[in-house]
Formats: sequence, structure tokens, C-alpha cells
Amino acid sequence: MTIQTNKIILRGRKVIGGYAEGEALVSKMPLMGWGNVDAKNGYTVERNHPLYEVPFKGKVLVFTEPRGSGGFVGYGASRMFGTNPIAFLYRKGNNLTVFAAMVMNVPTVTDFDQDPTEVIETGDHVIVNGDEGIVEVIKTANK
Amino acid sequence: MLLNDDEKRILNGEQGEIAQRCMKFLADYGEAAGAEKLVDLDGTVDLHPGPGWVGTYGVSMEEIAKLARKGEKFKVPTFSDKDAAMNVIVDGWEQCGVLPNSDPAYREKRMKELQPFIDMGMIPTFSCTHYLVSSFWPAVGTHSAWVESSAIPWVNAVLGSRSNFDGSFQTAYLGKVPYYDMHITENRAATVLVKCEAELERDMDYDLFGWAVGEALGLKVPALLGIGRPTTTQLVKMNSALNTGGQVRMYHIPGYTPEAPTLEAAFHGRKPKETITITRNDLKRVYELMNYGSSDDVDFVYLGCPHYNIQELQKVAGLLDDRKCSTRLWVMTNPQTYKLAEQAGYRKTIEDSGATLLSGVCAGMLYGVVMPPEGKPNVMATDACKQDYYITGHCHPHKVQVRYGAMEDCVEAAVTGKWKGEWR
Repeated sequence: MTIQTNKIILRGRKVIGGYAEGEALVSKMPLMGWGNVDAKNGYTVERNHPLYEVPFKGKVLVFTEPRGSGGFVGYGASRMFGTNPIAFLYRKGNNLTVFAAMVMNVPTVTDFDQDPTEVIETGDHVIVNGDEGIVEVIKTANK
Repeated sequence: MLLNDDEKRILNGEQGEIAQRCMKFLADYGEAAGAEKLVDLDGTVDLHPGPGWVGTYGVSMEEIAKLARKGEKFKVPTFSDKDAAMNVIVDGWEQCGVLPNSDPAYREKRMKELQPFIDMGMIPTFSCTHYLVSSFWPAVGTHSAWVESSAIPWVNAVLGSRSNFDGSFQTAYLGKVPYYDMHITENRAATVLVKCEAELERDMDYDLFGWAVGEALGLKVPALLGIGRPTTTQLVKMNSALNTGGQVRMYHIPGYTPEAPTLEAAFHGRKPKETITITRNDLKRVYELMNYGSSDDVDFVYLGCPHYNIQELQKVAGLLDDRKCSTRLWVMTNPQTYKLAEQAGYRKTIEDSGATLLSGVCAGMLYGVVMPPEGKPNVMATDACKQDYYITGHCHPHKVQVRYGAMEDCVEAAVTGKWKGEWR
């Protein structure tokens, strides 16, 4: 068996420092918090969302943007239940994503030179250097 | 991030440990947000009364009480959003029929805990639409710290004061926020031209339009053309949906909102980066996203997201006059408008129909308690995209369904127990 690997480097801005590596879980749809995030179980419960009830525990969670209420901080609250992602990467955010990242306290990077949701696919192996804002993507997602 | 000498002194603890922790929060928050500095607030604060957004920098109720006893005050006029921590129903709680909110001891305990906030200067508006009853608005160009979906576009677009979503104890107490995003002039320029080809007539149309634009734009700033001259009710609905279906914090209506006397001014003299068109089909698509059910039965009707203003209460009282509800109907407003509705006789008309008039909270904030997993109700009807789209999450894993329509459709459902609304 041969696995083709293809490494891509993304450069962004540090939000929260630290190092993490693991499997990506990617949402091309914005994430919504408040009632639509279940922090205890660590997944979104937004109806119609592609990641509905898909656990983000232990994953590198990659998404486009936040939308909706200040209750977005509920993604951060997953940390209290041990259901949190190991890293948080997003295309563009605001203070909703910042507060969630501060509560989650895992390596967090945004404002990349490329759209991370276009480059990274669910299943890719991702290495996050939060301090430098550098994300290394090893393309292992099944084609 | 750069702090000035005063801010450094606070960070070094010269104004006490609580001020130090609040400054540490602002410094770390600003750093994470990529802000260059802090800015002094000269507008207003809209805060969720509680310890703050990020637990590790939280200020406990005991600490706030201690500051209040020392006579310490918030730096700028500070208004209360809904009480997110304990979901206090300010008026009508005796009739709400859900625990713990109808328990007098629960309410008394929480009102006592909130008193130190009021002693420090928080004005007890207790509303997601405090801006409709605050009787005091921040001036154009000032820096504010607000919260709440519909309120953020109100402060930025309608009032022209500058705010991110960071009204909290820390920002109110120190009177400062990180200077980034909506505080910076160039970030307030429109980049997207939105042409509305649908005729927006009903209040509901503005709710649907707001959602459609929000979905398409995310965090971008639009200039909105072809939306007429929206009423207060329509603006509130549109703002709520813009910042729920997406994350539109700021927009311009040329010739209408304060930072856009002209279309050119909305774009700060530059060309639009993109242009989108919203048609009647887009509104229909959002309507269908919001309105679904496997039968016509409705067993809970919720009106007042965002909190109804007096014109809406007058209208709903008119629709309920001399009629009887067969299904539970909650009408939510803010405490100040509740009193006005009482004086005007609308409260009596609403309650005579069997409906409940409440203030200070919302169905979503009560999570699943209004629709418990056992038995009914399972189908809610509402006239707000925001409430509609969150309530299914709030009730999860209990699978509830939502009917969406105009106020008239919702009142009809409350009277008959059946949903008759359809797209027209």
C-alpha cells in the first residue's frame, strides 16, 4: 500500500500559542454557538449543519467564520467537559472566536495567507504551531 | 499590545487585585484579537450582568458586592442586557408556569445578587433591546462596548457608535476595550453592495431579508439598497437576523444611517468588492428554512424576539382582543415597555385572551424548560428567525419542530392550535 503525502504550509496570525497535532475536522459552513453548541458532548447541534452531532473532541477544528450570538463561547466551554478540540483554526473571526479560544486555551490561529477550509480536508494530519502562527498540513485525507 | 502608563499601573496591581485581573483580561484579550492598544470608552456599555466572558479572569458576585460597598462605579452609562446567568423573568414570572423561574425564592435571590451591579451604576433595563428604552444613546463616533445580536448592528449602523461584542464587567469597570475591528474607521466601510429586488413590505420581510444577507456575507460590511425606509420594528428584526444568519455587525443604508449620507460615503470612496442581489426567491428559501412541521399542530407560541416594542404590543393586543387562546402563548418584552403596556391596557387585553405577557428573558434563554422532552409541547410557532433557529438547539436532543410566520399567523395558531400560515 502506498500513501501519497503532500505537505502544505499555511501562515496566519497567532491567537493562542502552543503546539498541537492531530486529525482535522473541517466545516465549510460557519459555526453557531449558544443553543446550537452542546459543550458537554462536544459537538454542534445546529439543525442543517454538516457537522451536526459530529464530535470535535481531540480534533483540529477548522472552520470558516463564527455566526450568531455571544454564546459562541460555548465552543470554549467544551474544555470544562474535556470534549474540546486540540486546536482551533478559522478563516476569519471576531471577539466571539477570541473569547471561545481564550476559554478553550488550545493553539489557535486565524487570518491565514490561504483559506484553511479550502486547503485542509477532514482527515488530514495537521501540525499547529500556535506561537509562530504556522500550520503544516499533511494531505492524507482519502480521495 | 501597547499599554499606556496608567494601564500598566493597573496591570501592576496599583488599583487593587480586581482591577488588575480586569486589566489582565483586557491585555490578553487585546493580544489574542491582534489589537494594538486599548481605547477609552466614551459611549455606553450593554452588559450581561455576570462574571464576564472568560472564566479565568472572572469577577465573583462577592467581589462585585465588595466594590459596590466601596462606592466604585462603572465608567460610562451602563445598561443591562437580559440576565444570562440566571434567566430572571422580571415581570409575569408568577404566571410563567416553569421552574425555577416561577419560584419567588429563586427570583428574590438573584435580584439581590444583581443589586451590587445596580449600585455600581448599571441601569436595570434587562433587555436584548435596551436601546429602545434606555432613554440615552451614545453619540456618533464614540466607542462603546455592547452585546446581543440585534444590538450590535444597532449601535454600529443605526447609532454610529463603535462597538465589538464585549460589554462585560471588565470593560464597564475599567471603561476600556481593545481597539480593533469595529472601532477602526476603515473596518466600518462597506465592501459589498447588496441590491434588494424583493419588495419588503411586511415586518417579516425584513427578518427574512436580514437572514439572507447575513448568510451571504458573514463578517462583511454591506451597503443596503432598495430596502425602503424601515420602521423601528423592521430595523430591529433585520438587525437580529443579520447577526444570527451571519455576523453582520455594521451596515450602511445610504441616505438613512449616520455614517452614509451617500452611497460613495458608505464605501469610503472606494469601489464595492462585490455586489449581490436579494430576490423574493431568497426570502422564500429562508422562510422554508424556518417554517417546517410534520403536521399542522402547534402547541406553544412565542412572540417577542427581540423583545417587543410598544407598537408590536399594541398590534398583538389588537389581534387578541375578544379572542381566547387554545394554545399557550408567551409575549415577551422589556420591563419598561411592560409598564407602558400596562398603562395602555394592552396587558389586560393580552392576559384576558389567556396569553402571558412577560419581560426580561426569552424562551431560548430558558433552554428546554418550555418544551420538556416528555409529552407536549413539541411544536413552537414564532415570528423571529433568531428564536426559530436556536430553539431546536436549545431543546436538543428533544426533537422539536418550528413554525415561522408573521405575527398574525402566530396569533391565529395560538387561538386555533393549528398552523395556517403559508408563503405569500
